[in-house]
Amino acid sequence: MLKLILRRLAQMVLIMAVSSLLLFAIFDTPEFKKRLAVQELGGFAVSALTEDSYQSWLAKRGLDVPFHERYVNWVGNILTGDFGFSFEKNRPVGPLLADRLVNTGILAFFVFALMIPLSLVLGVLAGMKEGSVQDRTISFVSVFTTSIPEIASAILLTVIFALGLGWLPVKSAMIGGFSFRELVLPVLTLVIYDFGYVARMTRASMAEVMTSQYIRTAILKGIPYRRVVMKHALRNALIAPFTLIVLQLNWLLSGVVVVEVFFEYDGFGKLLLEAALFPDVEVVQACTLVAVAVAVVSQIISDIGYTFLNPRIRFA
Amino acid sequence: MSNKDTSNTLHPKVADARCQMESGKLNRREFVRFAALLGVGAGAAYAMAGLPNPAVAQDAANLPFPADDPDAKAGGILKVAMQVQKIDDPATFSWTQASNQARHMLEHLAMTGPDNVTRPMLAERWEASDDLKTWTFYLRKGVKWHNGDDFTTEDVKFNFERWTDPDLGSSNVGLSSISAMVEEVDGKKRLIDGAIEVVDDHTIRFHLAKPVLSFPEDMYNYPTAIVHRGFRAPLDDSPNGTGAYRIAENVVGDRCILKRVTEADGQPFEYWGGKVYLDEIHYYNFDADNQLTAFAGQSVDAIYDFGVEQMELAKAIDGQIISARTAQSLCCRMRVDAEPFTDVRVRKAIAMAVDNSLIKPLVYPEGGDVGENYHVAPVHPDYQALPPISRDVEGAKALLAEAGYPDGLEVTIDVGNTDGPWHQTVAEAMRDQLKDAGITLNINVIPASKYWEIWTQTPFGATAWTHRPLGTMVMSLGYRTGVPWNESGFSSAEFDAALDEAEATLDVEARKPLLAKASKILQDSGVVVLPIWRPIYCMASNSVHGYPAHPTQYHQFNKVWMG
Repeated sequence: MLKLILRRLAQMVLIMAVSSLLLFAIFDTPEFKKRLAVQELGGFAVSALTEDSYQSWLAKRGLDVPFHERYVNWVGNILTGDFGFSFEKNRPVGPLLADRLVNTGILAFFVFALMIPLSLVLGVLAGMKEGSVQDRTISFVSVFTTSIPEIASAILLTVIFALGLGWLPVKSAMIGGFSFRELVLPVLTLVIYDFGYVARMTRASMAEVMTSQYIRTAILKGIPYRRVVMKHALRNALIAPFTLIVLQLNWLLSGVVVVEVFFEYDGFGKLLLEAALFPDVEVVQACTLVAVAVAVVSQIISDIGYTFLNPRIRFA
Repeated sequence: MSNKDTSNTLHPKVADARCQMESGKLNRREFVRFAALLGVGAGAAYAMAGLPNPAVAQDAANLPFPADDPDAKAGGILKVAMQVQKIDDPATFSWTQASNQARHMLEHLAMTGPDNVTRPMLAERWEASDDLKTWTFYLRKGVKWHNGDDFTTEDVKFNFERWTDPDLGSSNVGLSSISAMVEEVDGKKRLIDGAIEVVDDHTIRFHLAKPVLSFPEDMYNYPTAIVHRGFRAPLDDSPNGTGAYRIAENVVGDRCILKRVTEADGQPFEYWGGKVYLDEIHYYNFDADNQLTAFAGQSVDAIYDFGVEQMELAKAIDGQIISARTAQSLCCRMRVDAEPFTDVRVRKAIAMAVDNSLIKPLVYPEGGDVGENYHVAPVHPDYQALPPISRDVEGAKALLAEAGYPDGLEVTIDVGNTDGPWHQTVAEAMRDQLKDAGITLNINVIPASKYWEIWTQTPFGATAWTHRPLGTMVMSLGYRTGVPWNESGFSSAEFDAALDEAEATLDVEARKPLLAKASKILQDSGVVVLPIWRPIYCMASNSVHGYPAHPTQYHQFNKVWMG
């Protein structure tokens, strides 16, 4: 197990090194530097700059240094905990990133708190009696909600609950400080989109377990059905959904851009999008490192969790 | 010379203008604008025009702000949705939003109101010499900085010296007034010795290398806010201004909070501009597409702007839709040095095949004006209509055949939608109209930031130009031979000469035909299809009073109140 963790961490460092180097190379092109100048000075102002003025602007921003030198400096700074400075947001990347990660963490917490019990219960209920009305109804709802893009459900929910009924705020910008009410619509949007996927996986896993020989034996032995499900089937049926749920961490970190942008929720995904469009290179770099770290760590958690849920699984 | 009130000697042109008004050649509103340009206080100008002055305060202080509303209530916080940007150095502001964040703290020598009239602000008045090469500004007395210092000519001199410092990189150097005070030495622009003359603590004189008409208007350009003589960037670290409010917090991409200043250096702070009503002004960061829905959800009291494509949504929301007539436009311009646009017949054929009068109502059904393929708008005081243009498809085909394209032509226009998706709508309408003349127009839609990288180089591009108070201003910035923003590469000695003459003419009535001559040259050259002068829209809740829509989207909340 220790070997597995160490190997995964080594892979993580390698991925981080390669992806950040690639990003640095891409962002070092003259086109990206010009785009940065346009964002900072304005299109009209940049076109009026003389070559000398443009070069001095590059020097002021530290962009006149060859990219490999900048890369080495950047890596050195990262090792000392300095993630650089955001051109766009005008503040150090470290605290900025921490703020956004906390916000996304809060969003993810509530999504998980709602989505996991809901999808597991529905998945188990559907899988218990494959082909029943209960199964078909849950399966239909799951497929239906998952097939609606997040932006569509976000608009629909906003029109009904915010603009129509006036029960909830339209945006989640948290102008007046943290507010649970402002969190409701983004959480609901994400839960609606994602629960069906996990429920379908749970259903498939549960249905497969319910047709296995040991379950049939347990039923034939006369063990109460409820006990068969809770004690024998559930644990085995949860192995596949567990992996899936842990991997949703990745999606909740950077895959929820649409929801964060639509609701103006200042999370990690919105930060990454804004930085990529600006282009705010040091923010993009830092976000990439975090995204890689979360992807690898969630994979490790998934692997470790696997061994607990199914002791027969051993990693070499 | 000009004066602050009617009792003293006036600039001779004021008397001429008054005669023209009395003989019916100049309407009263144009007279007020002209008199204000010559440094006559707005109150006095309105009085001379025989008009009541409903929009502007008429007290002795000659304030540039709207008159106080007798029903106004003091107190409250105005929350506005707008992009919240970096505000390190006002001289290098690139966007209107940044200047709005600072506008109620840092003020300008002059102020152009929502009515497009420029009035003295930190300056009490100004004088122009007859040749428009010497401008004298008399500063308002009794203006205090938030740190207790007096506002003097040293502050103004400090700012002009900064703007012309080549190492600062301020776009103010491109303004007609400032560019007439700099010379190029060893490839670098620097302030001409003696260009700024400090006469006394409240009088400063500028000596220009060429006549400049738009000096007062230039002083309300967004990067010309006046900072304290001890200013060191970034502004957030030591906010100090002459305005009624001070920035208490500025978090880029999140919020900018301004609070009313109550004391300066331990003493009660008395704002020179009279009463203000709001306790605080809060800007909250919302992307352009999200501002209207944020308003609908009552997260904010007002928004920076919304696009024409959101008009139906705006109408469905409870609140005031406020619009302003502007000289903001979309210039579909062709580079005269890029094939096939090197041939004037091709350019003219494209212009002839497009019907601006159909495109305007299609894209902007409400408000706005139809463009006439030259860059002076009906809202400009020096606008003079040229003979109307009409679509001529057969004429366009004939011109194309003459130019060597008897079987039609295929061209591509780059569209960045830098000002909203309506740019693309205009291009699509043009595409459909050009088809009738055998011209295939491909539309290459690219990201806004990408467009700004190529806007001066692309052979055919759709560029948004913002409003400027005088007609001569954009004509000079965008079409004069060799200027940096001449995106079409247009060059005409005849045009330059006509524009020179117009720019050297203070008398607006005399200037109109001169500018019309330059406009006609530009129109005949076919370098630009300019179909629309677009209106701007913003929205405020019914509890916000006196919320003005400014043609350049500059915020002026001194007389705004919540009730």
